[in-house]
Amino acid sequence: MRGIILARFTSFIRNPWLFALFTGMSIIFALIIGNFGAGNEKVTVPVYGDEALQTDTIGTALAENEVYNFKWMKKEELEETIRRGNAEAGVSIEEDGYEMIVGIESPNVQLIEQTVAAIYTDKIQAANLLAVSDAQTEAEKEELLAAFQHAKEEPVFEITNQSFHSSETFLFDNGLHSLFGFTLFFVIYTICYNVLPILIEKKAGVWDRMILSPMKKWEMYIANLIYSFFEGYLQVVIIFTVFRFIVGMDFQGKFPAILLIMIPYVFAIVSLAIFLTALVKNTQQFNAALPIVSVSMAMIGGAFWPIEIVQSEFLLALSKINPLTYGMEALNGLVIYNTPLDQLLMPISILLLMGVIFMGVGIHLMERRHV
Amino acid sequence: MLELIDVSKKFKQNAAVKSMNMFIEKGEIVGLLGPNGAGKSTAISILSSLVEPTSGDVKYQQKSIIKNPVALRKIIGIVPQEIALYEDLTAEENMKFFGRIYRLKGEKLNMKVQEVLEQIGLSDRRKDMVKTFSGGMKRRLNIGVAMLHDPEILVMDEPTVGIDPQSRHYILQTVKRLNQERQMTVLYTSHYMEEVEFLCDRIYIMDKGSLIASGTKDEIKRILASENTISVKADYWNDAFIEKLKANPVIHQMNVEEKEITFVVSREVNIFTKLAKLAEETNVSLNAVDVKNVTLEDVFLHLTGRALRD
Repeated sequence: MRGIILARFTSFIRNPWLFALFTGMSIIFALIIGNFGAGNEKVTVPVYGDEALQTDTIGTALAENEVYNFKWMKKEELEETIRRGNAEAGVSIEEDGYEMIVGIESPNVQLIEQTVAAIYTDKIQAANLLAVSDAQTEAEKEELLAAFQHAKEEPVFEITNQSFHSSETFLFDNGLHSLFGFTLFFVIYTICYNVLPILIEKKAGVWDRMILSPMKKWEMYIANLIYSFFEGYLQVVIIFTVFRFIVGMDFQGKFPAILLIMIPYVFAIVSLAIFLTALVKNTQQFNAALPIVSVSMAMIGGAFWPIEIVQSEFLLALSKINPLTYGMEALNGLVIYNTPLDQLLMPISILLLMGVIFMGVGIHLMERRHV
Repeated sequence: MLELIDVSKKFKQNAAVKSMNMFIEKGEIVGLLGPNGAGKSTAISILSSLVEPTSGDVKYQQKSIIKNPVALRKIIGIVPQEIALYEDLTAEENMKFFGRIYRLKGEKLNMKVQEVLEQIGLSDRRKDMVKTFSGGMKRRLNIGVAMLHDPEILVMDEPTVGIDPQSRHYILQTVKRLNQERQMTVLYTSHYMEEVEFLCDRIYIMDKGSLIASGTKDEIKRILASENTISVKADYWNDAFIEKLKANPVIHQMNVEEKEITFVVSREVNIFTKLAKLAEETNVSLNAVDVKNVTLEDVFLHLTGRALRD
């Protein structure tokens, strides 16, 4: 068994280009599609109002907003921007209130309104506070407002409400999603092209030689599968390490847990690769089937776009037998929804179960068909 | 020593081997001859315990090996038809890999690798990767890795396919030497008649899954003892000559090439006068008429009605 692993490893050292290609593609695609390095580009929201308001509390708060870039313009210009679809919504600012001008109904519109409403609430709260307080001088007023601001930023207690599954809303982080999606997608290729040599060696007679030797057949399978797992897992570790320590993503402090949660996924994909290899008759068929299977898996598993936007019941049903779905679910649950590891047992168990089933059926088929 | 007893093998509806009987004695080189698709590879896979027969038995030293092949597997070495090597490893690394799976290690493994590399003439290329080798060198290494554990029986499945004449000659000489110096038993399958004629003591001829002849070279050639193979040469033929020759009832297995026609006739027929008369009638100028020695190719043609490489 050691001999097989050693031989495979030596071949890998001499010819690491396929591995490097898929690892590189995962990183490059995740960087490009995930928009890393472009900074936190803010969504521009056109704003109209009196010039005096631009330097007022409201104007200052809008300018300091971290999420949206509120851009002041004339009313006609704002309306034209929205009419042309260059902005989803705009805001007409007044002294005591605001008016939303909506071009496209989207979750962003609600968030913009919440942001603007929060600014007005703060302003009104501050005004009310000053009205009921004994502060007379400007210094006293500033001290009071500073204390109010501090209390808001560091409250005595905080109520947070989180939900892992929700039919109505979902959390989405484009950078993380691209990273998870492309990592899970490209590792399928690396693993499958590592399982393929079983088929090639069987056809070439290498396995016949090993069968006639004192080596046991299970040793031959285990050695190949351990090696395939190793290379697939190595790819995943390299990608996440690059994003953790070079790109600088902190993964909410879940980096070790991510690496742990990838073990059942890589295992399931190794098993799927065995199953796929057992179904095909030769390398040509394998090369034709692999892109079809992997791209379909990525599309219905939520690697390219969030699975939450998929409406078709049929596609959603198909996604339930797709290891990539559970890989994405586990990663999103862990990092985006901040779910504890023990609550991710469901997707992890399903991945392990799929691994066992695919491997059992795959090896059985290979043996029965004398592939 | 090793025998197939009434062995058949079916893959779904396709019978690859039909009621085959065959034996190999210690120290002999046995040839299994047949065209592509004759069932040779299936037969040797059954013989070497890689494939279980649908019916019949395989015995080694009088004991069935179908359910317990361990004893046979210890003393058998197989040279598959394909190049069963790791292309990204060197010749030496391949040797060591296959040596290790036979539990060879340390100094013993190193010595054995060195010895076999010398036997197959690759010791000066030991550090080169297999993918840089020529077809002939790969074939030699393919044979070498089957010899690492000193097998008593070497099963070779068309080991010279697709290589140059020099490499083929080298391989044939190596096989002959192994047999003579070490009394290694060899089962050699091929569709090259001349290889089998050169190497083998006894020959089995297969076609369409069945054995159609067996025996020593002379015994097999005697199948055609009552007939002669005639070769007629000329610079050109015309249709009338060919048609009249074909129409002659005593002539059969006729093969027409650009400047040579071969056919088989009974020894009792005096074909020379007939040929001379026909040539004169059709205005064909004959250059030579020869009676050829019977070859295994002729026997195969006689038995199956088609050439080995068809």
